[in-house]
Amino acid sequence: MSKTISLKIDGKDVKVPEGINLIDAAESAGIHIPNLCYLKGMRGIGACRMCLVEVEGMKSAVVGCITRVKEGMSVKTTTPQIEEMRKFVLDLILSMHPLDCMTCTKAGVCTLQQYAYDNEIKESTFTRKKFGYPVDAANPFIKRDPDYCILCGRCVRVCKEQGTNVLDFMGRGVGAKVVTAMDKPLQESSCTFCGSCVDACPVNAILEADRWRKGREWDYTKTNSVCLSCGNGCDITVSTKDGNLVKINSGGTEGSVEKYICAIGRYGFDSVSSDARVTAPMIRVNGELKEATWKDALNAAADKLKASGGKTGIISTAGILNQDAFVLSKFASDIVKTKNVDTTASLYSDADSMKFSDSADMDSADVIVLAGLNPSQWERVLPALDASIRRRVSRGAKLIVINHGETRASSIATVNISADEASSLAQVAKALIAKGKKADNALASAVSGSTLSEDAEKAAALLAEAKSPIIFCHPSLFNAARNISLLIDIKVIAVPYEANARGVVSLGLTTEGKTYKEMVSGGVEVLYAVGEVPVEKRPNVNFLIVQTSYMTELAKQADVILPATTYLESEGTIINYLGKVKESVKAVDPAGDAKQHKNILIELSKAMGTPIKESAAKMKSAFQVKDKPKFHPFEKKKGLEVNPSELNESINKSVIYSSRLVWLKEVAEKAVV
Amino acid sequence: MSEQKELKVEDIKKTAEEKSCAVEKALYYVTGFLSGPMCGKCFPCSLGAYEAKVRLQNIADGRGTDDDLAAIRKIAGNMLEASMCKKGKDTAKFILEWIDTDVFKKHIEGVCPDRTCVAFIEYRIIPDKCNLCGLCKDVCIYGAIHGEKKKPYLSGYLPFEIRQQKCQKCDDCIKVCPTGAIIIVDAKVKEPVGV
Repeated sequence: MSKTISLKIDGKDVKVPEGINLIDAAESAGIHIPNLCYLKGMRGIGACRMCLVEVEGMKSAVVGCITRVKEGMSVKTTTPQIEEMRKFVLDLILSMHPLDCMTCTKAGVCTLQQYAYDNEIKESTFTRKKFGYPVDAANPFIKRDPDYCILCGRCVRVCKEQGTNVLDFMGRGVGAKVVTAMDKPLQESSCTFCGSCVDACPVNAILEADRWRKGREWDYTKTNSVCLSCGNGCDITVSTKDGNLVKINSGGTEGSVEKYICAIGRYGFDSVSSDARVTAPMIRVNGELKEATWKDALNAAADKLKASGGKTGIISTAGILNQDAFVLSKFASDIVKTKNVDTTASLYSDADSMKFSDSADMDSADVIVLAGLNPSQWERVLPALDASIRRRVSRGAKLIVINHGETRASSIATVNISADEASSLAQVAKALIAKGKKADNALASAVSGSTLSEDAEKAAALLAEAKSPIIFCHPSLFNAARNISLLIDIKVIAVPYEANARGVVSLGLTTEGKTYKEMVSGGVEVLYAVGEVPVEKRPNVNFLIVQTSYMTELAKQADVILPATTYLESEGTIINYLGKVKESVKAVDPAGDAKQHKNILIELSKAMGTPIKESAAKMKSAFQVKDKPKFHPFEKKKGLEVNPSELNESINKSVIYSSRLVWLKEVAEKAVV
Repeated sequence: MSEQKELKVEDIKKTAEEKSCAVEKALYYVTGFLSGPMCGKCFPCSLGAYEAKVRLQNIADGRGTDDDLAAIRKIAGNMLEASMCKKGKDTAKFILEWIDTDVFKKHIEGVCPDRTCVAFIEYRIIPDKCNLCGLCKDVCIYGAIHGEKKKPYLSGYLPFEIRQQKCQKCDDCIKVCPTGAIIIVDAKVKEPVGV
């Protein structure tokens, strides 16, 4: 993409891409330039002066976070003079930082501790400064202890960049403090409790609220996995101690705009070990659910399934792993032999949009179009998409919002088209053709009738110049949006509301018989529900099998309950909304007798007489469907309207109500009263 | 930001230079800098200037040690090198300009050569020069001066004296004394004066 620059860092020849700063360049050569205020991916601010380095030919030292690489540069990251300055800064910071590393939770991962160690500073030579600020620990998520704050400003900048804008500095210099507006507790600000500031804080000033004496970083086992709570499928790093979940952090690549997880992903894990879990199979005997052995439960389910055959309905959420989905699809077609198998993905998407969406890299996007979507961190609708877009825009990308209603993102958009999405896309296409982009006859004649609005022309002007644009659209607009890709090189992505909708649909979990909606209103004899499907009332069916991790409302009305693992206990892959294959890795052992979906289905198939075999090769081939985009009318598909916030809430209901997230509900209720 | 016109570094420097004692100059400069033009963006300057003020205050208050002097020297040196902008560097330069004069050393030894740092001086009344007019007692708002006005028909009277614990060293008494009987002496020098 860009030119390569050769330079020397501490005598080492380094080749790096053009435009990066010295800290990143040194990092790529395995040399660490100390820094406290720098955040990879963001522009340096040169505040802490820890990253001062010497560049040959320069009169004085320069800061590594701002200085960009130049051809032939020769950099020295340590000289006696620079060491002296770093020690000076550390000395000053330590004079106002508690020296209680022996009981500090952050010990071991504290940047200040590391640098003090590296520079042999036992304690400050300067006057000890004590503040005694009150600790903000009024919420169960984030504890803020300003006495530990070293004023690096990372939390402030992370919060600003992602658009939540909760934290800021009050005062300057030694007396400065990181505060919310009016220095109120977090819950009285507009905080979403995403915890990005927790991940950014280099010291013990901002921390998960429940970490006191729950072990320190070196006690934890870390597992990189993926969150399946919503359509974003964010990377997570799970920390466990003695087999128990302790905390979850964002697992995104350092510096990527996608390094974000929301409160549900970060704090919902309490539910995994809560009472709301189903830990043993259950069978309804004389109207009451009783715990049973796997064998009995499977046999009870198998008998009913065998008998009902084609009149069976199978529904699932689209938050199950590819391996589970693959087995489920085979289970439906080969074992139960029913065509009625569908997922919640059908509520908001069609098969084409999920199968044929492009893959894209968010970090290189320069123009982003949001069509018919309203991602919001505050309502927790695709919160990571919202955060990533806001970060991209902070880093210079342009945003075009096309939506007939109001959207959260419109405030940061360069162009806002508030009109019907499909016809607006047609206008943009027309404007692009007017700019000389070649179109086939079908497309050209389809848009010839539309009148151009000023905004559509502005949008087209941005798109025509863009290097790597992306359209994020609602699945109902996928075909309309895809027409743009006939004109320019653009990635078109239909964004689902569940983590693995793309995988699940590609693996054939789309109905050829009754739809999800039909099945949950009772169109089948036996209903088999997989995952925490958003159904509260038992449909009018003869027999209900619920395979779930939590005792949902539906499970309470089931005839057989099969306990399934949560995603933190399961292994497999997903395809997230950006088309990336992400691996879910087992972080903790299953609760009780719970088994992963696919294993339950395999056991069940055995009980029914024909065991299913997993086939990685066949699963892989399901993803290799290619489709050449061709013209489709500029229309919005009907019947795919859902309230994303309600859907998300209802799928994650068990998680929210059996974890500390319920606190948010309580606070919200109090605020209403 | 504020309604008041913010002081600029140059203004502070100008006023600071009008002070006679070097310690006072530096302390005034740094204090003014901290409360006004300092932006607080980079650590060496914002944290360093604060520490420098603490140390300068120690010296000006007569509690200064060689340690303080070394710390100020270290801070100013590093501020000059490491701070982000000219404002910080100028402050460091200003401190460095004066720190190597004898004045700082003298303060640590307990003497303000210019006799302006209040911690190092005392106001005394020379009994021989005092005409017992009582003007100083009238003008002292702290009630630090004791003594009795001379009345022609009385033979005994109490001489005028300054109670050091009450004296705020405001200089008002010197201004009104018609005979120049009030003088400033080094606090450390304890022998009787004015004879």
